[in-house]
Parts: sequence; structure tokens; C-alpha cells
Amino acid sequence: MSTVQEIKCIFIKKVNLIVQRLLQKVTMNLINGIRLYIEKMCSESGPGMKNMLLDRETTSIISMAFSQSDMLQREVYLFERLDSGRSNERMKYLKCIVFIRPTKQNIQLLANELRSPKYGSYYIYFSNIIPRTDIKFLAECDESESVREVKEFYADYLSVNPNLFSLNIPKSMQRLNWLPEALTRSVQGIIGVLLTLRLNPVIRYRAGSSVAQNLAKQIFEQITKDSTLFEFRQQENGAAPPLLLLLDRRDDPVTPLLHQWTYQAMVHELLTIRNNRLDLSNIQGVPNDFKELVLSGEQDEFYSKNMYANFGEIGSTIKSLMEEFQRKAKDHKKVESIADMKNFIESYPQFKKMSGTVQKHLCIMGELSNLTSKRNLFEVSELEQEIACKAEHSAQLQRIKKIIADERIAINDAVKLVVLYALRYERHANCDTSGLLQIIKMRSDQAHIIPSLIEYAGTHVRQGEVFSLVRITDAVKLTRNLIKGLKGVENVFTQHTPLLKETLEDIFKGRELDPLYPAINSELVPFRRPPQEVVVFIIGGTTYEEALAVHQLNNNGYRVILGGTTIHNSQSFIDEALAATEGLQFKHTKSMMKYYATSENF
Amino acid sequence: MSNPFGEPDCEIVNGEILEGFLCPICHEDLKSLEFLTEHFEKTHAEEQDVLKSIFKDIFSKAKKKIKLNLDEKFDFSRNSDKSIALTSRIEETTVSTTNVRTRLNIYNFMDQQKEGVERSHIDYFQTVRNPRLERYASETNKLVIRLHKLVKDMPTDALLRKKHDQNIVPWLDGRSVKLCPNCAKSFHIARRQHHCRLCGSIMCQECSKFLSLASAMELASLTTAYSDSSKQPIISSGSTTSDLQRNGIRSCSHCFWLLDTRQEMHESHTCRPLITQIYLEIQQLRKNVTPDIDMYLKIIGSLYEGESILTLSDASALRGKIGQIAEAIDVHSKRILSLPCEQGSREESLKKSIRLSCIQLIKEKMLSLPPLPQEDEIRKIQDRKRIETEQRIASERKMAMEAYERYGLAVSTNTQKNTEYVQGCDLRSLDNWSARPVSTAGRTQNNDPLVEQINIIKGYIKQARQDMNFDVVETLETNLRELQKEFYERQKPLRQSNETENNKSRMDDH
Repeated sequence: MSTVQEIKCIFIKKVNLIVQRLLQKVTMNLINGIRLYIEKMCSESGPGMKNMLLDRETTSIISMAFSQSDMLQREVYLFERLDSGRSNERMKYLKCIVFIRPTKQNIQLLANELRSPKYGSYYIYFSNIIPRTDIKFLAECDESESVREVKEFYADYLSVNPNLFSLNIPKSMQRLNWLPEALTRSVQGIIGVLLTLRLNPVIRYRAGSSVAQNLAKQIFEQITKDSTLFEFRQQENGAAPPLLLLLDRRDDPVTPLLHQWTYQAMVHELLTIRNNRLDLSNIQGVPNDFKELVLSGEQDEFYSKNMYANFGEIGSTIKSLMEEFQRKAKDHKKVESIADMKNFIESYPQFKKMSGTVQKHLCIMGELSNLTSKRNLFEVSELEQEIACKAEHSAQLQRIKKIIADERIAINDAVKLVVLYALRYERHANCDTSGLLQIIKMRSDQAHIIPSLIEYAGTHVRQGEVFSLVRITDAVKLTRNLIKGLKGVENVFTQHTPLLKETLEDIFKGRELDPLYPAINSELVPFRRPPQEVVVFIIGGTTYEEALAVHQLNNNGYRVILGGTTIHNSQSFIDEALAATEGLQFKHTKSMMKYYATSENF
Repeated sequence: MSNPFGEPDCEIVNGEILEGFLCPICHEDLKSLEFLTEHFEKTHAEEQDVLKSIFKDIFSKAKKKIKLNLDEKFDFSRNSDKSIALTSRIEETTVSTTNVRTRLNIYNFMDQQKEGVERSHIDYFQTVRNPRLERYASETNKLVIRLHKLVKDMPTDALLRKKHDQNIVPWLDGRSVKLCPNCAKSFHIARRQHHCRLCGSIMCQECSKFLSLASAMELASLTTAYSDSSKQPIISSGSTTSDLQRNGIRSCSHCFWLLDTRQEMHESHTCRPLITQIYLEIQQLRKNVTPDIDMYLKIIGSLYEGESILTLSDASALRGKIGQIAEAIDVHSKRILSLPCEQGSREESLKKSIRLSCIQLIKEKMLSLPPLPQEDEIRKIQDRKRIETEQRIASERKMAMEAYERYGLAVSTNTQKNTEYVQGCDLRSLDNWSARPVSTAGRTQNNDPLVEQINIIKGYIKQARQDMNFDVVETLETNLRELQKEFYERQKPLRQSNETENNKSRMDDH
């Protein structure tokens, strides 16, 4: 019987182990985090008809997590913006949930509202830490005793995917330094994420990047100041504390420049997603219902299944869905091209009922494939990937010259190619950027983009090995590259992997981080062990390609949250780089002087 | 492996291969599935409660989540499959609701993300706000008392009225006041001094506010409030009508503001227009219908599984009830929509969204209910289930016999118990049983308390059915079946000896 008991013991121990592990592994899902907050707001105000008073940013924060009908179910029937278009209608029989960011302007507006209240009772929620003086000010204004609740709920970021957030700051830098309001917003956004997920992290920043260091300092100060908020249960088993990693976009300027082929990234690159919404109103031939589309994985099953799938896969998924329907409709007309599919859809109104979403995605896919063929994107993208991943200077230079001179290639794509080349071979002996610049100059007035981008993210700022240039000293990297080379390339259009992926893999392997990513609060790192949870924030914007990399890591059991000041596509990235270098004196591109945008740059 | 319920763990440790219906905890061979479950229930009830509840979810979750530890996962998923099979068996026979509940809790706890941090400022807010409010409140109360006196027997004649007013509130001496304290303009023949009737202070005509008599009456609670107080602001600022200036009560802006705020607070506490009332009714209906919908889905599910505790007619009655509620909600929300309001106002959009949410509710929750199954279809399902149970029992019996033969341990008590148990199981699943005990009850009408109890329960069931209280029906029906089974088993010994006392004591256990 003793052996039996032994088995029993082992068994129970194993079960306990698993329970423990699962309990530690609380899911990190930002959309859920926001939802929980908002649900709590709705339930705390009790039953009854409700109005929601929001500001510009909180409106988008809520709309990323809930649809309007979701809110109707929670008895929220009206929405109002605190900062614009207010009516004077008194509705004392309504409860009012106020969810705003704690800005000076908002506080003032709310004070006015409380002095002459239009609603019966007020439940006030601020999306971030609010100074006590502001609370006092508001309390003095509430003369009719209509405020029932004042709370901080830290839903202060836009949750794009469960593991991706953005702060919608399209331009974060000026003369390569923080714009003050962008810095404050970033601190608040990151604090919001940390508090939503209940993390008190080690803060590491990219060494040598003054913006990252600055942000790290400010976050650290905020955490120290409000340390009571960050008192979470310590992990008893000695697991490493979570990590907040502050990176600089300029370390990897390549990823946002490349053309993308996975669905979400591609849609953003070609059509631009704003707050999970897609605006197709200026594209011809789009039916009226599809002028504005919502692309949310929470509300759209097809999208959530396919947002990381690549272009070809989705095409075949849609095709098979339609063939299935065709079988049902007992019609064996062959569906071959996307145009065929469109015709097919229009002739079968039942199909509309069966899967309205598929029609929506078909519409998007149609537009994507249109643009792909119109802009010769297969050819361009292949070359982009070659430049990013392989070192064959002369051959690539020849191809670039040929392609950018071709009038069929859009000038934007040509500029991007030259930028990639210039970033890649900036220090190459035979670098011929000026020759390429001449060709661009002949075609358009966009040549100034190239020196600006090199000032923004040239070799002098970069630290990581964005182009996988092999250094003899780095034996690990060398072998890794060798293996990569031996394995061959599965898909020429998606051979590039973002630098972030390598960085994160290094982190989870427990590599030494201090030289490249020093910690600001090093007392939290008593010993070196890979962290369980990582929150990455990229100053200057993240990309959907990086979101894909993070998603893949999370699928392998790691727990990473990615965020950035914004989510870039190539155009918005170039715009941000131009804005950041505007008025700056250029030091590293004297050879391209004649292409500068303004005389200030001299 | 021939037997799906053998334990691989013991093979490894003991070195010899055990087969058969082994208990996973004490490794006793229990010959048949029924015995194993019974044994499990009795001997390991407590320890297993915890274990099995954890097992089922953890393993299925663990399989998904912990892909990292491949080897472990492999090892455990094998175990988990078995424990799932085991636990599901056990749950079939034992009706332990607590068990289900604990399992659910664990499940929820693990699946749900913890809410983010929050911080409340309401305490500080109140410590700042409340003293101010208290000060205002006492001030306002004083004003209301004065107002009451002013309005109470107010003379109509202007001169008399002035005297009456001065009597109640002594007016400030105007000689020393050269400037209007509110707008700082000097007083002269054209700009004369006026007195606030409530506090006696001085201001000019332009800075005077007027309280209409009607609202003054109301504030002093001499008359009851207007029926639709929300439509019409009770205190309107003075300068609009000359009539108001003549008849209204002149007051300074501070007193006016205090009374206005009081009025507003009163309004927001008591404001209940028609729309709120109808809305409350809708919410009540909505609240009432949710358990009905759940119950309906449960009945339909059980019907398709061939159970007969709740019948088809129950389901159709419930469906009818849900339909009626849906209609009521529809009517109510239309009524809200038809309430008069301004075009393009926020009130209009409020009504529209309420209506929209009602339509959504009806569409998604009530109209999309699965249809009732056909009667013959149910009969088929029930027949099939009966045959299946019979086959299962037969095969189990056979397997048990084989096991005896193999081990040569024909313990007589076991056999007896076995057959009895099988019979019991058989009885329970056969549903033509509800008829027979009635006839036997008719025969042995010698005040058998068991029969009495059965009849009482039958009466309750009938009542509960009429009230559509299907939760009660379900528990009563299971009770009834157990009683009937008990009664049947009692029949044989009863005929031999009339041990009514013994019977009664067991009855009480029920």
C-alpha cells in the first residue's frame, strides 16, 4: 500500500504544480483589461438609463473594446462628448458616467458641468492618476451633491489587439527630442498598461538613446511617487520580476519601411487603419455600406482568425468559403479570380446573409490586390526584402537603379527603396546614394526624404544589428546567420524578421542585458533570470509586423505586450522622421547637402 | 489495453500488470463499472471531490496552455483523459451540485483576467464637499422657513404686503449704502435701492431676481409639485415678465441661487417622468425572462437527451410565456418611442436607442430560441436511450461475470448487490414506471406513508407546473422517482412482513 500512497503523493504534487503555474499565468490581454474596467463602470452606477460623457481620446479607447450594441446591453443609451457639441438639454432622469482623461481642460469643463448639472447623478472615472488639487477643485464645484463616485480607472491606451497597444501620437519628437506633451502622454499610457495588468516591472531602456532614458526616468519617478498603486503580491517562488523595455524606433528603421504581406499589416500599409477603422470612402467602386469598415478581432471572427495570415492564404480561405456556399446553392460556376468572386457575391443575396463579414473582407482584398498589381508590389517587395536581408551590394544597386527609373513604379515606392539602400550601405565603400538621389530628384521633389531619414536613423544612432551585418567578434550571431543561410528562405516576401524578435528571444534566453539595455531601478534585479512578462514600448511607433512577431512568441508560451507611441506604416513613419528632423542641423549627411529640404539643415 | 479504466501508474510501479476496474486511488479491483463508481463515491468521496474537480479543467486547460513542457504535457494528457472519463461517470450517478459549483469557481478563476488596479477618491471628495454643502443646507433651510412665513398669509395690497415682508425679515438700513453691492453702481433717483425679501440686503433693480409665487409656495411646501416638473423650470429669472416682478418675491442673487440649487437637488432626487417608469417595467420584464430562457434551453437539451423529467408540454408552455414577454417588451418599447418629444433632441435619440436595444434583445435572445422537438422524435430518442441502457447493463453484467470466472472469486454478497444495483439502475431509466406504482398504490391503500408522500408530491408537481416553476418541478420529479423506486423495492419484503415502523423511519430519511 505504501507504493500506492507514494503514487498518490506524486500525483497530487504534480497537480498542485500545474495549478500553481496556471494561477501565476494570469492572462495578459489588454482588450480584456479595458473591457473589465468599462464593465465595472457600468455596473457600479447601478441599474437605470445611462449617458456616457467622454472626451476625444476616451471615445476611441472605448470604441476599440466595445461596439455600440455592447454598450446598449449595459444600459448606456447615449454618448456625449465633454469637449464638443454639447446641448443644454436637461435629463435629470439619466445617470451620467463620466470617463475622461485627467487633463486641465477636461477638469475645467467637468467643473462647469457640475456647477449646473444636466443629469441626475454623476459617476466620474479618470483614465489616469489625477492630482489631489483637481479633486478638491471638483468637489468645491459639486454644490448640488450629484457626484456619487470619483475613481481612477487606468484604461488610458488604445488596445488594438489583445497584445498590442498604441497611444495615437503620430509625431513624438522635435529636433530629435521629446515633444513635452508626447512624453507626458507616453508616461501616462505606459503607467495605464502596467496598472491594468498589475505589473511592477524592472525598467530597462535602450542605452544611448536619450529619449528612451528620459522616458524611463519619468516612469520610474511616477511609480515611486505612487508606490501604493504598485504594491502587488510578490512572487514567492523567486521568479524574476516583469520587464518594461523601452526601445527607440531609430534602432530599426527598416521594419516600418518594408512592404507587408500579412493581412492586418498589409491593410495598414496600403489603406491605413485608424483606431481599428478603415476609411474607403475615397476609393472608387466601393459599395456604400463599406465606406467605413470596422476591423476588430473582437467583433469579427474572420478577421481575428486571419489577421496574421498572409495575402495568399486569405485569398484561398475566402475562395473556399465561397465554394462551400456555391455547393450549397447547387451552382457549379467556377470561381477563379477576385472579380469572379465579386460577381458571384452580387448575384447571391443569400450569401450576404450567411456571411456579411466575408463580403467586407472580399471588398478589402479586392482593393489590396488592385493596388498590388497597379504598383508592381511583388517586384518592389522582393527587392526590399533582399536589401534588408542579404549583402550583395552591386547586384542590388543595379536592380534599384533599374526599378526606380521605371515610371510604372510609384515614386513613394522608389523613395522607400533608396532610403533602404542608403540606410543599409551608408558606410559601404562603393555606396552610391548620390547617384540614386539624382534619379529621384529627376522624378520628383521628394529627394530630401533620404538625408532626413539618415539623420533620423542612420548608423550613428543605431546600435542593434538591424541588417544582420556579421561581425567576426560576435560568434553567436555568426553561427545563427549561417544556420539561417543553410535553411534557405521559405518565402521571398516575408524573409525579414524584425529586430525586436531577436531582442525578445535574447531576453527569454536570459542573456546579459545590462550593456545594451541598462535598468533604471536595478534594485529590483537581484539575480539574472529571464522575466516571465515583458512589456515593450517603442518610442517613435511600432508596426504590425512586430505585432505579428510578438503574437508568434506569445503562441509559444511567452507573455509579451507590445506598444508604441503609434502604429506606423511606411508613409506615417517617413512623416514622423521628417517632423523629428525638421529645423535640425544635419551633421551626418554633408555629402547630400544639395538635396536638403531647407537651408536650416546646413 | 483492453480495459479503458485500468491505471497505467500501477503497472509501472508494481511491475506486474493489473487489469480490470481498478480504483485509481487504492487499486482495488472492483469487477464492474457500477461497482467502481459506487466504491469511488463511498470510499473516496472526500478526497476525490477536490481532485476530480480540479482534474477535468486543469488538464484540458493545461493541454492547451502549457505547450512548453512537451514531455509533461504528454504524460499528463494521458492521465487527464482517463480522469475525465472517470469523473464524468461519477457525475452521472451522483447528483452533487456543490461539486459542480466548485469546479465552476476554479474554472472562472483561472480563465478570467484580474481587473486592473483602481483608486477611489470619493472619500477625499466628500470631505471637501460635505462641509460646504452642510453650510449651504442650513442657510437654505433658514430661507425656506422665511419663505414659508412670507407666503403664508400674504396680503394682496402692495403697502400692506411691504409691511408684512418687513415684519418677517428686517430690512437693512439703506442710508449708509451708496453703491449696489452686486454691480457696484451708485444709487440715485433713477437707480433706486431695493431689498431682498429673504435676507433684507440691498441691491439695484437690475441685480434683483424674482421668485414666482407659485414656486415659492412649492419651495415652502405649501402646495404639491407640478405633475411634470421636468418640463418647466420652476424658478424663472425675473426680468422676463412684468407680472412676475409685481407679484413675485424679490430676492438677491445669492438667496436665489441657494433656493435654485435646493430645487435642483429636489428635482434630481424625485424626477421620475413617464419614460423612466416604462423603462423600469421593461427592465423588470427583462429580468424575469432570463431564467425562463435558461430553463427552456435546459428542458430542450434534456428532451434531446431522452430524459423525461420535464415534458414537451412543459417546454411549449414555457415557450408561450417567453413569447408573451417578448411581445410585452415590444409594446412597452414602442410606447417609449411614441412619447412626445422635440425633434432632433437628445431625448429622441435616447428613445431610439432604448427601442433598438429592446429589438436586439428580442431578436437575439427570444426569437432565436431553438424550436420544440417533434413528439415522435422524442419518443424515438427515449426508446433508443432505453435500449442503450439495457445493452449497457447487459454487457456490464457479462463483463462482471467474465471477471469472476477469471479470478475465481465468486463472493456471493457481491453478486447479490450487483444484481440489485443493476435493477435499480434499470428502474430509474425506464420511464413507463410512473404509471405502475399508482396502480399498486391503489391496491395497498392501507395508509402507507410512502404512498401518501408520493401522492402529496404529485400534487405539488401539478401545482408547480401550473405556476411554470420548472426548477421545482425538476427537483420534485427526481424526488418522486426515488420514492417510487423505494416503494417498489419495499413491496417484496412488505408482503412477507409488515414492518411499518422500520419503514417509517427510513421514510423520514427522505
